[in-house]
Amino acid sequence: MNSGDAAGSSSGGSGDAGAPRRASRKPKYSKFTQQELPACKPILTPKWVISVFLLVGVIFVPIGVASLLASNKVVEIVDRYDDACVPSNVTNKLAYIQNSTISKTCRRTLKVPKDMKQPIFVYYQLNNFYQNHRRYVKSRNDQQLRDASKANETTLCDPEKTRDGMAIVPCGLIAWSTFNDTYTFQHNTNNLSIDKTDISWKSDRDHKFGSDVFPKNFQKGPLIGGKTLNESIPLSEQEDLIVWMRTAALPTFRKLYGRIYVDLKENDTITVTLDNNYNTYSFDGKKSLVLSTSTWLGGKNDFLGLAYLTVGGLCFFLAFAFTLLYLIKPRKLGDNNYLSWNRNSAGH
Amino acid sequence: MFWNLTVQGSANLWFAAFQMENLFSTARGADNVIYERLADGNYDIKKTSREHLEQFGSAGLRTLCLAYRDLSMDQYKSWNEKFVQAKSSLRDRDKKLDEVAELIEKDLILIGCTAIEDKLQEGVPACIETLSAAGIKIWVLTGDKMETAINIAYACSLVNNDTKQFIISSETDTIREAEDRGDPVEIARVIKESVKQSLRSYLEEARRSLSNTPERKLAFIIDGRCLMYALDPALRVNLLGLSLICHSVVCCRVSPLQKAQVTSLVRKGARKITLSIGDGANDVSMIQAAHVGIGISGQEGMQAVMASDFAIAQFRYLTDLLLVHGRWSYLRLCKVITYFFYKNLTFTLTQFWFTFQTGFSGQRFYDDWFQSLYNVIFTALPVIMVGLFDKDVSASLSKKYPQLYQEGIRNTFFKWKVIAVWGFFAFYQSIVFYYFTAAASQHGHGSSGKILGQWDVSTMAFTCVVVTVNLRLLMSCNSITRWHYFSVAGSIAAWFLFIFIYSAIMTSFDRQENVYFVIYVLMSTFFFYLTLILVPVIALFGDFLYLSLQRWLFPYDYQVVQEMHKDDPHEYSMIRLPERSHLSPEEARSYAISMLPRENSKHTGFAFDSPGYESFFASQQGVCVPHKPWDVARRASMKQQRQQPQRTGRS
Repeated sequence: MNSGDAAGSSSGGSGDAGAPRRASRKPKYSKFTQQELPACKPILTPKWVISVFLLVGVIFVPIGVASLLASNKVVEIVDRYDDACVPSNVTNKLAYIQNSTISKTCRRTLKVPKDMKQPIFVYYQLNNFYQNHRRYVKSRNDQQLRDASKANETTLCDPEKTRDGMAIVPCGLIAWSTFNDTYTFQHNTNNLSIDKTDISWKSDRDHKFGSDVFPKNFQKGPLIGGKTLNESIPLSEQEDLIVWMRTAALPTFRKLYGRIYVDLKENDTITVTLDNNYNTYSFDGKKSLVLSTSTWLGGKNDFLGLAYLTVGGLCFFLAFAFTLLYLIKPRKLGDNNYLSWNRNSAGH
Repeated sequence: MFWNLTVQGSANLWFAAFQMENLFSTARGADNVIYERLADGNYDIKKTSREHLEQFGSAGLRTLCLAYRDLSMDQYKSWNEKFVQAKSSLRDRDKKLDEVAELIEKDLILIGCTAIEDKLQEGVPACIETLSAAGIKIWVLTGDKMETAINIAYACSLVNNDTKQFIISSETDTIREAEDRGDPVEIARVIKESVKQSLRSYLEEARRSLSNTPERKLAFIIDGRCLMYALDPALRVNLLGLSLICHSVVCCRVSPLQKAQVTSLVRKGARKITLSIGDGANDVSMIQAAHVGIGISGQEGMQAVMASDFAIAQFRYLTDLLLVHGRWSYLRLCKVITYFFYKNLTFTLTQFWFTFQTGFSGQRFYDDWFQSLYNVIFTALPVIMVGLFDKDVSASLSKKYPQLYQEGIRNTFFKWKVIAVWGFFAFYQSIVFYYFTAAASQHGHGSSGKILGQWDVSTMAFTCVVVTVNLRLLMSCNSITRWHYFSVAGSIAAWFLFIFIYSAIMTSFDRQENVYFVIYVLMSTFFFYLTLILVPVIALFGDFLYLSLQRWLFPYDYQVVQEMHKDDPHEYSMIRLPERSHLSPEEARSYAISMLPRENSKHTGFAFDSPGYESFFASQQGVCVPHKPWDVARRASMKQQRQQPQRTGRS
C-alpha cells in the first residue's frame, strides 16, 4: 500500500534539506527517564570497612568516657521505706494503710556517702506500678484540665467521672491516684527546706493545666486513691499533680518531689520524717526515697556511658579482626575466579 | 471482481469472475496442503514443482503453491447456498465451514510455486547466542517447511555442524507408503506408532549422550503433523522429557494452535517460566499461552503487539529487555519488597517489646499520628527511589556478562534465606530501639532534674527508628543518585518538621495531647543527641557487619563484576539502541559493512543472514552478477573458518 514510508511520515518534510529523514518516534531523551543519572556506586572494600570501624571507635570511646565520668560524679541515696515504715506488729498491711485514723508518720535516717553539691533533687521511686497500663493512660481528659468552661467534659475518665451527678475535676484514674506521701528533712538537727516549685515541665504548667481550673468534687468517694487537692489552688499551681500526670514509661519510675539548696558533706546524717500514706501494699509495689545530684547528663545512669564504651571497644576489636581476616583469607578484588560460572568445573 | 474467503488457515480461496461468464477460484497455501487437493493428472508439472520446492527450501526461501479451478455458475450458486448456511449457523460454525470448504477445494489445477526470501532481522543470531549464554533455552516454532526451519536454526546458531540432531518427520518412507494406501485410520496409526518409537529411542539416546559427552549439544526437530500425535497425553511425557534435555528445539510446520499447545506443555508440564516472541497474527495464541508474551511490531501488522505483554521493535532488543531491564526489575522488586517488610517489622516489634512492660494491657508505645504517617511520609520516598533507579551493574556490563541473568533464574535474592536474614536484623534492631532507649532514659535528664514520661521516650525511640531505617536503605543501595540523598534527607527532615509542628499545636481534635512540647524539651537535653548518635549506630552495626562478611567471603556474582569494573569511567550516554532509519542507502550499506556479522556458522547454507540470493538465482540462470562487498567479505571469512574450527569466546 504505502510504498516509501519515508514519504508518509515526513509529509510536510519537503523543507528538509538533504536526504529525507524519517521523523523519529523515540521519546525525548532525558537522564531521568533513561535511568542514566550520575550515581555513586559504593563498594564495601576492606579499606572502607576498617576505616568505618576505626572511625566509630575513635568517636565513641571518648564520648563513652565522658558520659561515664559524668554518671560517676552523681551521688545518689536510695532508701526503700515501704516495708520498714509499717510497724512490726501489723499483720494486715492493707488494712493498716487504709485505716485513716492511724497516724502513719515514720522516721528514717540516711547517711550521705559522698559530698553532695546543691541543688539536691528529692525523688520518690515506685516499683511495680504500671502507669503505662492502657486503661490508666487514657483515663484523663485534657480539655477539662485546661479549660474552666469545659469542666463537665469527662469522657474517657471512667470510672472516676462523676460523683453524685456532678463532674469530678480533675477526672480520671491518673489524677485520682496521685502520690501522697510527704517528706520533711533535717540535716544535723537543722530543718531543710524543700523547694517544691518548678518541679514540673513549664509547658505543662502554662498550657496543659489551666490557671482558672479548680479542683471540684475530688476524692469525695468511698475509695480514696491518693492525694486530696486544695480546692482554692488552680491546677496550674498543683505541681505534684502535674508531675504525677506525666505518666511514666516503665513500671519502675521516679518522680521529682522537690529540691534542696544545701550542700551536704560526706558522712552527714539526714533525718527524714515521712507520712506513709500511699497504698502500694495491695499490689506488691515498693516505695523508695531518692536523693540525688545531677550533672549535664542528668541523674545516675551508667547505661549511656557503658554503651558507648562497649561499642567503641567492639569497633576497635572488629577493625583488628577484619584486618586479620583480610590477611588470612585474601581475595583479590574483582577476581574472575569468584564468578559462579567460572567456579563450577562443569559449565552448563 | 474479486472476493475472498479465508476458510481454512492454510489455504486461501479467491473467487474471481470476468464479466460474470467465467468463474474460477484460486487457492494458495503450503505445498502439502495444496498437493492434497489437486486433480489427477499433470504429473510433470507436479513433479517439477516439487523439485523446485525442495531447492527453494534448501536455499532457505519460504515457499507457497498456487492452484486454480474453473467453476460454472450453477456449481458456485449451489455451493454458495451451503456456504451461507454454514456461515450463519449458531453451533459448530468452524466445523461446518471446514466441511463446506472441503467441497469446493478439490480438483484444483496446479499453476506453480513461489519462493520468498525472508531475511532474518539484523542482530538475531548474536541475540540468540547471548540469551543462550544467559541460561535461557530457545525453541523455534515456525510454520515453514523442515528444511527452511533447519536453515533458520543454523543461521541463528541454535544448531551447528557438531550438534546431534534428533529428527521426527512425517515425510519418511513408511508414512508415505501408508499415505499412498489412502486409509486415514491406517495413516494415523502408522504415524502415531512411528512417533512413539522415535520418541522413546531418542530419549534414551539423548540421556546417554548427556551423561557420556555432556558438552555435545543436542537438537530436537519435529514437524507439525507428528507433533499432533506427540502431544497426545500418552506420549506427551516423553516429548517433554526429550525437549527439556535437548539444548534447542525446532518445531516446523506448526499451526498457530499447536504453537500455543507446545507453549502450554512447557508451561504446565515443566513448570518453567516461558516467554513467547512473535510478530504475526499466527503467533497470537502462542503469545497468550506463555507467561510473558512479546510482540514485535513491524511489517506484519500489529496483531501480535496488541496481544502481547511487551512490544518491541526489533528482535535484537530482546537482549536489552531481558538482560538489562528484566534483571534490574527483578533486583529492584526484591529489594523493595524485602526492605518494606524489614522496616515495618522493626517498627512494629518495638511496640511488641513494650507490651511486656505494660502488664500486657495493650498500651501503644507510639502516638497515633506517628504510626499512621510512618509509611506515608517518613519512609516512603526513599524506597521508591530505589525501586526506580537501583542498578547493580550498568547496562553494557549486563549484556557483557549474560550469566548474571542466572541470579534471577535461581531466585537468588528472594529465597527464604535472604528474607530470614532481613527478619533477623529487624528483630535485632527492634530490641536495640526499645531497650536501649528505655534504659538510657531512666533517671532524669539534664541539670533540671525533671523526669521524662512515656511519650518522651516514645518520641525519642521513633526518631531513632526513622533515622535508622532510612540510613539502612542507603546501605543496601548499589547505586546512589542525588535523588536518593534528597529523599533520605528529605524523609528525616520531614519527620523533624512534622514533630516540631505537632508538638507545638494543640487542637480541639486531639483527645489527648500527649506529645505537646515533647520534642523541644528533648532537644534541650544532651541525652537526646547522645542517644540519637548511639542507637542508630548500634542498630546498623549488625547489618554492616553482615554485609562486609558476605561481600568478602561469599560474594554474589554481580558484586564480583562490580569490583572488576569499579574503575571504569561512568557511562552516561550511548545506551541508545542503534537506529538506521535516518541513513541514506549509501550510508546504510557502509554501516552494514561495519556491522558485519561475525557468527561462526559453519553451515554452508547462507540463507538468512546474508544477501547472497541475487548471486544464487543469478547463477541458476547463468547470469553473472557483481558480488556485493559484504558477500565477498563473508565468503572470505567463512573459508578461513572451515580450516580452523574456533571456539566461540565467551567472557
